[in-house]
Formats: sequence, C-alpha cells, structure tokens
Amino acid sequence: MTPKFLRSRGAKKFFKSRLATFSLFVIGIYTAIGIAVLFFDAITVDDTLQRVGPDSTPMIGEQKIEKRLRDADFHLARLESALNKKEEDVENAIANLALAERGISDKPREELKSEVARGWELYDELATQKDDAEFDAFDGKKKELKEQGIDDNEQVQKLAGNAADEAVEALVTSEDFVGSLEELEGIVAALYRPLTGWDATMYNLRRSIGTDRQGRSISIRALFSIKIALQIGVVSALISVIFGSLLGAAAAFYGGLIDHLVVWLYSTFSSIPSLIFLIVISYRFTGTQWESSLLPVYVAFCLTFWIGPCRIVRGEVLKIKELEYVQAATAVGFGKFYILLKHVVPNTMHLMFINFSLLFIGAIKSEVILSFLGLGVKNQPSWGIMIRDSGPEVVNGFFPQLGAATVFMFILVISFNVLSDALQDAFDPKHVS
Amino acid sequence: MWNYIVRRLLYNIPVYLGIILILMALLRFGAADPAYTFLGKNADPGDLEKIRHQLGLDKPFFVQYVQFLWEVLTLNFEQESWGRPGRTVGEMLSTAYIPTLLITVPGLMITATISICVGLISAFNRGRLADRTLMVLAVVGMSVSFLVYIIVGQYYGAFQLKEWVGTEIFAIEGFDLEENGFIAGWLTYCALPVIISVIVAMGYDTRFYRAVMVEESSKDYMVTAKAKGAGRRKVMFVHMLKNAMIPIITRVMTTLPFLIVGSVLLEYYFNIPGMGNRLLGAIFDKDFPVIQAFTAIFAVVFILSNILTDVLYALVDPRVRLQ
Repeated sequence: MTPKFLRSRGAKKFFKSRLATFSLFVIGIYTAIGIAVLFFDAITVDDTLQRVGPDSTPMIGEQKIEKRLRDADFHLARLESALNKKEEDVENAIANLALAERGISDKPREELKSEVARGWELYDELATQKDDAEFDAFDGKKKELKEQGIDDNEQVQKLAGNAADEAVEALVTSEDFVGSLEELEGIVAALYRPLTGWDATMYNLRRSIGTDRQGRSISIRALFSIKIALQIGVVSALISVIFGSLLGAAAAFYGGLIDHLVVWLYSTFSSIPSLIFLIVISYRFTGTQWESSLLPVYVAFCLTFWIGPCRIVRGEVLKIKELEYVQAATAVGFGKFYILLKHVVPNTMHLMFINFSLLFIGAIKSEVILSFLGLGVKNQPSWGIMIRDSGPEVVNGFFPQLGAATVFMFILVISFNVLSDALQDAFDPKHVS
Repeated sequence: MWNYIVRRLLYNIPVYLGIILILMALLRFGAADPAYTFLGKNADPGDLEKIRHQLGLDKPFFVQYVQFLWEVLTLNFEQESWGRPGRTVGEMLSTAYIPTLLITVPGLMITATISICVGLISAFNRGRLADRTLMVLAVVGMSVSFLVYIIVGQYYGAFQLKEWVGTEIFAIEGFDLEENGFIAGWLTYCALPVIISVIVAMGYDTRFYRAVMVEESSKDYMVTAKAKGAGRRKVMFVHMLKNAMIPIITRVMTTLPFLIVGSVLLEYYFNIPGMGNRLLGAIFDKDFPVIQAFTAIFAVVFILSNILTDVLYALVDPRVRLQ
C-alpha cells in the first residue's frame, strides 16, 4: 500500500467509516496475539495440553462451593505428585508441573508433606460428608416413594435426585461446612508461594474461562487457535488471491487459447462443490508424512479458493484492456507483459483486497468445519477442534468451551465481514450498500 | 431455443470430461495409492494386488478413465464398497439420495421464500431502522459458525425441548420414515435439520436479495413508473419484483447443487443416512469406490443444474439466447 493509495478517494471513504476502522483495530489485536504465539512462543502447544484445574469446570461467574472443593482437591493432588518424586527431582518436578508459574512455598519438605496430609484429611472429611448427605437423601426419598407406591423408575430417579441435590445444597451452605472449606483453602493457599506480577496474570488467564473435560485451559486453547486461524487464513487467502488474480488477468489480457484454458480450468474446478473437494483432498493426504501438518489444509483451500478472484479479475481486466491508457501504453511501445504488470494488475488491486478479505472468512470457517470432521488441523487445538470436543460437553449442559470458541471466532469473522463490506463500499462502484 | 440448449450442452462436455479427469487423477496420483491408504502400512502385498485388480486400478489410466466415464453416464456402478462389503456403490447411491432431498428441498424452498420477503421488506425500508436492524442481524448471523447452529440447535431444539414439553417433538438423531408414516417421520427426523439449514442460509440470502432489489430500484424504468404516478408499493412489488426475477432465479439455481452437499454437516451430526453422510463415512473408511462415484455424481448434478439455469435464464430473458 503506497501513500498514494491511502490518499485515494476510496481509501478516504473507507477510513471515514468508524465501524471499518474499529474492525481493523480488532483484527490488529488478533494479529498481534497470533504473531506473539507464532514467532515468540507466547503460548506453546504444551501449554494447551496442561491440566490447569479440575475437569469440566467453568471459572466464569459465581464460584460454587462444590467447585471450590474440587479446586482444593486439584491443588493438593498437584503438590503431592511433585512431593512423591525422588528427593533431588522435586525442584525439577515442580518446574515441569502444569501451572509452572505457581511455585511451591519454601517450607521444608517434611512440613509440606504433613500439611498436605492435613489437607487431605480435611478434604476427605468434607467429601465424605457431602457424599453421605447425598446418598442418605437419595435412598431416603426412594424408600419414601416406594411406600407411597410410586413405581415408575424414571420418575423415582428424578425425584430422588432432586431430594439429593437439595440435601447437598443444604449441607454445603451450612456454616460448619463453609468454615471447614475455608480452613482447607487456607491450608492449600499456604502450600503455594503467593503470586505476583506477570505470574499472577498468566495464572488468572489460564483459569479465566474454565477447563475442558481433561482439565485443560479453555482460554489458552482459544487464544492458541487464533494463531492457527490467522496462519491458515493468511497463507491460503494470500496464495489463492495472488495466483487467481494473476491467472485471471493474464487470461483476459492475452485472450485466445490461454483465456479458453483458464475459463475451462475454473469452470471445471468450480463444478466440484468446494466442501466435497476439501474433504477429498484431505483424504488424499491421509497416510502420508504431511498428514499431521497443515499442508493438506493449505492445498485444499488454495485449490478451491483461487476460482473466485480469478473469475472476478478476469471480468475486470476484460474491461480495463479496452481503456485508453492501455492503448496509450501500447502506442508508446511497451511490451504486453510490462503493461499487464505495470498498468493493468495495479488497477485490480481493490478487487484483490476485497477478495482477500472474503477468502479469509471462508478459510477460517472452512477450517473449523474440516477440523470438526477430523480432517483439518491435527495435534494442536483449533476452534473447530474445540467445537468438536464440546459436543459431548454440551449434552451435559456445559457450555464454556463451545462459547469460547464461538465468541473468539465470531469476533474475528464479524470484523472481517464488516471490513469487506466497507472495502466494497469504498472501492467497488457496483456494490450496493 | 433448442439451438441454444444444444449449444449449452455441447459447451459443457469438455468441462465435464475435465472434472472426471481431475477427480480421477486426484484420487490416484500424488500422495499414496487408494488401496494402500485403505489397507494401511502392514498390508499383505497379495491383498493389495487383489484389491487393485478388483477395481481395475492396475489398468492404464486412460482405460480406467473411459470405463469410469461410461459408468457415470449409465449410472451403473457395479463395484463393491470396500467399507461395507456386500453392497455395491450403485445400491448405496440409490438409497442415499432420498433422505438428502427430504432435507434440502424443503430447506431451499423455505429459505428462498423467507429471504426474498425479508430482502423486499429491507429494500422497501432502505436506510430506515427496520432495514438496518435486519442487515445487522444478517451479518451477525453470517459470522457464527454453521457448527454452532447445529450443536446449539440440537441441544435446545431436540434435547431441552423434550425436557420442557415432556414428549419428543424433534428426534435428537436418526432417520426412520417407516415407523410412524411419512409425514410424522419427516417432522420428527427432518424438520429440525431443515429449520437449522434455513437459519444458517438466511443471512447470506437476505443480503443478496436485498442488494438485488436495491440495485433494481435505482434503474430508469423505476423512475419512469414513479413519474407516471404508480404508487410506491406497486412500483416495488409489481414492476421491480418482475425484473428482479432473473438474479433471483440464478441465485436459487446456483444453490441447487449445494442441496446435495450443503447438508453434509447436518446429515453427519443428525446421523441421517443421506449422500453427504455416506460420503463422509466413505472418507473415514478410506472407501475408494464410494468416494470416486459420489464425487462424480456431485459434479454431474452441478453441471446439470448449471445447464438448467442457463435454460431458465433464456426463458425469462430472451436476449440471452442470441449471445
């Protein structure tokens, strides 16, 4: 983008739109996160695999007492696993633990061990209390229902379950229970070094949204997926736009056999529905050494996405090549190739930008679908994989993972949608706003 | 007219030959060969040979090409599926297209009707609050992943609805038209996927139809009609709608081939035994004959609908025939 381009009427119109500038800003933030992950390893694949808390626990919203209990359990278990290592390994083991930034306090080892034991005792007591209350209420209600003569199994289960829930609720909100829990949390907190500064930020970030079924951090996975989405979007949209537009421009400009060939090529490629084509290409890569890389996704996207820009640029160049300035350039004696690159292609730039933006959206959405089907990204998280993983969670009424993936993707896609609308408004005279 | 149709048909022959060529080459050359992909690393060489011979993969490419072209032309797929031994590809094809059409045809009709209406309303109120709200909704709707609609739709539409109402209105998954008769079966198993597909497609279609109408409304004949004193409503719904029919037909027709494909995810998620679901199953089983035949059929349908679009175009707008 030259300054001249920025001074053009279209660019002025574009930057006048506040929404478009804002969407550019949002895309900028995403890109910054993507670059931090890609080049500076701000988040590694290992980070996305670590356990950061008890499984399937949302951390947003009110912290229920049961959740606090499970969290205490998680922290005790985490420390115990480190303490059970051989003497010289303890420092190492702690450094390699999940949530590495949360160090263990400097107390002597024996003291830590006894504290952990005390913590477990208290935890066991609380957990037993809770379980007992639950079972007693469940069985009691069941017996009561039997005496009343209600036999319908489903109904009995439901009513007894409700009774058990009520009993647990009554227990966990009782003062004794909460007091013991606070004591337990105090023990757990004393076992760890207090968090400050950057460590605290990272720790809170990891645990900000919640954990999935394997106790992995949802927020970290969603943030890491930004990198995947941007990588796939930029690579495939860029290659297809450049390749497609150059092919289209050349076809229209030279005409004749090249034009026929290109038209045949794109009508052929566009006759295979793109989703089917994507699926088939991903299938072709199974069993090869590139299977777990992103290469199949790139190939599949580039092979299907070049058609759009090719068709549009060809149409535009057909018009441009009749214009006077092209004739003038020919009259001056420039070669055909020079005119094509210097005078024709730059005048299709706006179409390339618009198409890049549109293809970017297409790439992100298709990546999610392919990954969901198990044919796209492998061995690392992506929004599609998060959505796939959240399928069984949703059945149990657990939404944070689905929500996080959706929201992260939604913000990026809607920014690009707004951006491409604004680009079309500003640069494409045919577009209707 | 006939002259025109024949020309379109002839024009599409090289495209069609090209598609089959690209598909077959794509499935055979490059990465690993299909028999190897199917049997895996530790396959017995004898088995590999046998399976290649069975499908004619050991013949020269040109012979395979002609043979396969003939199969597609006669719609006679005799090969046995690798993933489901004992069933031929043709059999699978003939049972798979019905469920697909049961989802996609109603989906397409409902989507087209609603989104044309919404587009008209939006264009009629251009720039006003109603128009802006509708367009913002359309962009928001377009920005949410298809998968989210499916997952959330299934959770609330089938799973939670059953809890609230007490009886099963929409099935969570599956497909069975025999049990309760056709209509009840369709309502239980297909209605929810259709609703979801309509919601998903609405955003794109509404925006498109609105753009078409807005563009039409700035044309000269509209000014003339207004100058002659025709009412705003009459101009909008009589003069403009007629002329907007051409892009509308094109849009509806170009979505026709996606009728078969568009429901891949819906079929997969709701476990409906349609074409898309079968193709995905074949991909997971590395079932080469099914993949090849199904993709070829998709391409045929695509081209046929292209020709049909051209013909309809010529019917609506006689100028097209002369080009």
